[in-house]
Amino acid sequence: MEIDRRAFIASLGGTAAVAMMDSEAKADSLEHYMEEQLDEQVAANQAREKFPTVAEIEAQIETRNYRRGAGSLFVSGRGNVKKLTPMPKNATLKDFFELRFAPANHVLQSATRALKTGMTEEVILACLLHDVVLNLIKVDHGWWGAQLFEPYIPEKSTFAIKYHQALRFFPDSDAGYEYPDQYLRIFGHDYTPPPHIQSTYKMVRNHKWYMEPRLVTVNDLYAFDPNAKVSLDPFTDIIGRHFKQPKEGLGNDNTASSHMWRTLSNPDAPL
Amino acid sequence: MRLSRVLGLGSWVLGLLLAATPTQGQSKPTNYKGLEITVAGVERAETVGLRDCPPGSNTVRGLTKPGEEFAIVNLSFKVTPAFKETIVKKPVLLDAGGKTFNTAMSFVDPGSVPQYSCGFAYRVPTGTKLGKIQIDTTTIDLTSFNK
Repeated sequence: MEIDRRAFIASLGGTAAVAMMDSEAKADSLEHYMEEQLDEQVAANQAREKFPTVAEIEAQIETRNYRRGAGSLFVSGRGNVKKLTPMPKNATLKDFFELRFAPANHVLQSATRALKTGMTEEVILACLLHDVVLNLIKVDHGWWGAQLFEPYIPEKSTFAIKYHQALRFFPDSDAGYEYPDQYLRIFGHDYTPPPHIQSTYKMVRNHKWYMEPRLVTVNDLYAFDPNAKVSLDPFTDIIGRHFKQPKEGLGNDNTASSHMWRTLSNPDAPL
Repeated sequence: MRLSRVLGLGSWVLGLLLAATPTQGQSKPTNYKGLEITVAGVERAETVGLRDCPPGSNTVRGLTKPGEEFAIVNLSFKVTPAFKETIVKKPVLLDAGGKTFNTAMSFVDPGSVPQYSCGFAYRVPTGTKLGKIQIDTTTIDLTSFNK
């Protein structure tokens, strides 16, 4: 690999900073720098890949034995599905994170970023919850997710979860949201959002709470780090303050979404 | 770590250093509340890895549309003992005419490592002349990085 020595030295803070490092630190720094450069090159090559068209993606439908919109609890990417640990009687949100949503790495990374960049607790909570419904269903996951959590969380968080789905397709540089390359891969490079997504975007763009779902999309982009170490622990207090945990347990509390929690509890029920 | 590796890589690094001169136009360090900031350079690109600062290994990339490019301002940071902040505002780019541009990248745990480098990407019209970069109350001139 070719190393740009000026860039390398600059990355260490300049010649003066390098002069203060011992040999081992220099060697470590060089190795780390080379790893980063390699990652960059691999990523750049990926970015130059030929992205599929919508038609090419549609042509793959009959090559699968499942629908793309099926929730991940219902489909195994590798071999047969595994038997699930039964949920406790009075299941809490934490129980669902541990037993049904795990590892939940993406949403935990997203919420961690929101927490560390000083966002509001409503936005942090929305980031934490915005994609967990993908375990149940992927199609229209913003609306399904909002419905799942609506009885339990602040209205702003529900709004953010519901509408992040539509805002994802519309970049907003001022707010710090870039259109991600992965959507070209998932939806096709010639994809146009359907009319209901476009009209939803127009409505939300002019809404006083626009920034709530927008910040969910902003944090969404930065939550695909395979090396990130995250945990639910930093969010215990926020969940305690904003999530109305039913004493009967989620699924047993007769709300408009209790059936969805029961489905997540027991996705092996035949009917 | 094996001694041979240390000696091998160490001597290579030493060789690089002996031959090195500071990057042309590299800025003098600016101090922001104990965070020593140096502009290491500016790049232009059609696509950019979306990584926060200090950088992790996020896999998502941002793409430009025709007529746009990313102006990537590479900043080096040194955390001094005086640095106490936990949340540092995102840097804002100003073009030569004073128009502002925001970045998607944020500072996340800026005091977690002693020194690091980050490329802050700004979506700008192709060929935009850069003016300065501003972090909260601190401003760094970028005009010497315009080709």
